[in-house]
Amino acid sequence: MTNKKEKVGNAFCHIYLIVLSLIAVFPLVWVLLCSVKSSGELTSNPTRFFPKHFTLENFTHVIQDLGFAKNIGNSLIIAIITTGIAIVISSMAAYGIVRFFPKLGSIMSKVLVATYMFPPILLAIPYSMVMAKLGLVNTRIGLIIVYLSFSVPYAVWMLVGFFKTVPLGIEEAAKVDGANKFQTFIQIVLPLVMPGIVATAIYTFINAWNEFLYSLILINSTDKMTVSVALKSLQGAEILNWGDMMAASALVVVPSVIFFMFIQNKIAGGMTEGAVK
Amino acid sequence: MKRRAKVDYARWVFVLPALLVVGILLIYPIFSSLYYSMTTKHLIRLTYDFIGLENYKAVLADPNFFKAFLNSVLWTLGSLAGQLIIGFTGALAINRVNFGKGIYRTLMIIPWAFPSIVIALSWKWILNGVSGFIPNILVQLGICNELPQFLSDNSFVFLTLIFINIWFGAPMIMVNVLSALQTIPQDQYEAAQIDGASKVQQFWYITVPHIKVVVGLLVVLRTIWVFNNFDIIYLLTGGGPANATTTMPIYAYNMGWNTKLLGRSSAVTMLLLAFLLLVCVIYFTIIGKWEKEDK
Repeated sequence: MTNKKEKVGNAFCHIYLIVLSLIAVFPLVWVLLCSVKSSGELTSNPTRFFPKHFTLENFTHVIQDLGFAKNIGNSLIIAIITTGIAIVISSMAAYGIVRFFPKLGSIMSKVLVATYMFPPILLAIPYSMVMAKLGLVNTRIGLIIVYLSFSVPYAVWMLVGFFKTVPLGIEEAAKVDGANKFQTFIQIVLPLVMPGIVATAIYTFINAWNEFLYSLILINSTDKMTVSVALKSLQGAEILNWGDMMAASALVVVPSVIFFMFIQNKIAGGMTEGAVK
Repeated sequence: MKRRAKVDYARWVFVLPALLVVGILLIYPIFSSLYYSMTTKHLIRLTYDFIGLENYKAVLADPNFFKAFLNSVLWTLGSLAGQLIIGFTGALAINRVNFGKGIYRTLMIIPWAFPSIVIALSWKWILNGVSGFIPNILVQLGICNELPQFLSDNSFVFLTLIFINIWFGAPMIMVNVLSALQTIPQDQYEAAQIDGASKVQQFWYITVPHIKVVVGLLVVLRTIWVFNNFDIIYLLTGGGPANATTTMPIYAYNMGWNTKLLGRSSAVTMLLLAFLLLVCVIYFTIIGKWEKEDK
């Protein structure tokens, strides 16, 4: 009796999860399928699932004629440098909070939650004014600086969770051996939390790669645009070319999804553990 | 004893860069916005005057502001309720099934990785009122007589936006709830079973107490995120049709970059922040209470 009930419950769960999974993946699948359809096929036969003729013309058009490669380059540079700087600053801070400021740590994590509360649209106004004053509008450097505003607090928050898992005993041993704080940090602690740092770095990269609002406000020349804003500007064309847009979307979303797959196991804990307790 | 006399500078070196980032990029702009919200700062004009609370008065006298505020609250409540229900039930289902946990999880978190521009373009294309997949399927199945206009029809558009936001945000709730569920010691369920507790009782007396702090925190984070979200609505509808989907961030953006009144836009964003602060204080009071109960 219970066994049968269990089985029915299980089957019900599977059906539910299959439905949710299908809804979750449909947009990605549809973007990919439509990106290799010809523009005629896209509009004439909207419900045909698989492409009749496989074509890469949308991709070549987007990359060669619309200069999307340049935008991909911009986004890559910005996201990589943002991630590099953010990770150095944040791993030091996370270690400092966990080891040297245990009491201050709980206050600091509250401050971090508070900064998370600041509306990006609020920050966008002073950023655009300061960047204009500094002559950093339309530059990658300006955008990198602004991106630190969300990547550093978030990375600190996630890394605090990972640094807490390092046993103190190991560090004590290093101290006895005469290592100073920085040597202990670089030689002993960092290697231990490397998986956590890599996960945080990937997450920071994805967020910078995906960012839209600041890029919209601070960049307006086509050759400096990031992928998000460049994609948005495709929409501004007089005739909407959905084939182009799907191909460009595929180029932007696929790296994010793949990177995300790598870190999915790490990401869950990091986010709430950093703040709880 | 000796160590106490010597001030330890090294440890400050670790946290200083991060403190500088927070100070320069987060704390300073808040005060700068607060100041500009009391001026006639303009997007293009160079000079501006201090006008005290005039911007706030003007904003609070604008019926469109209250419409935007109401839209924001509806957008947040609707999205959050849906994300919680789907995320929570999804996590419980994955936790329960006997095989395929990893595959379901991997597939279901995909929306989380989506950049907002691709969320917008993919759904715009799927729901497109001429050659979109779903409108055409609905007509072919005979559910609709004519192609439904999900993103421009006044009666659908808000629900469509909320649906898309649930699609995007539920995975984050799901993954976090799932990892919280997996920290519950299994022997507690076994003990409860021996004592004859039903599944529902086990859920209320074991599962819920274990995960409620995590869920509470998730609700705080998601509330903030959804309330502040600009991209999804801006890119899907631009706040239209006819302001029907204009939320506070979009109202503030239009005020600053279309009407070009940056000072007044700052006032809107300060009101937005004040409201969020209030909501978070309430949330944290509740969560703080729960944490105390646990100890």
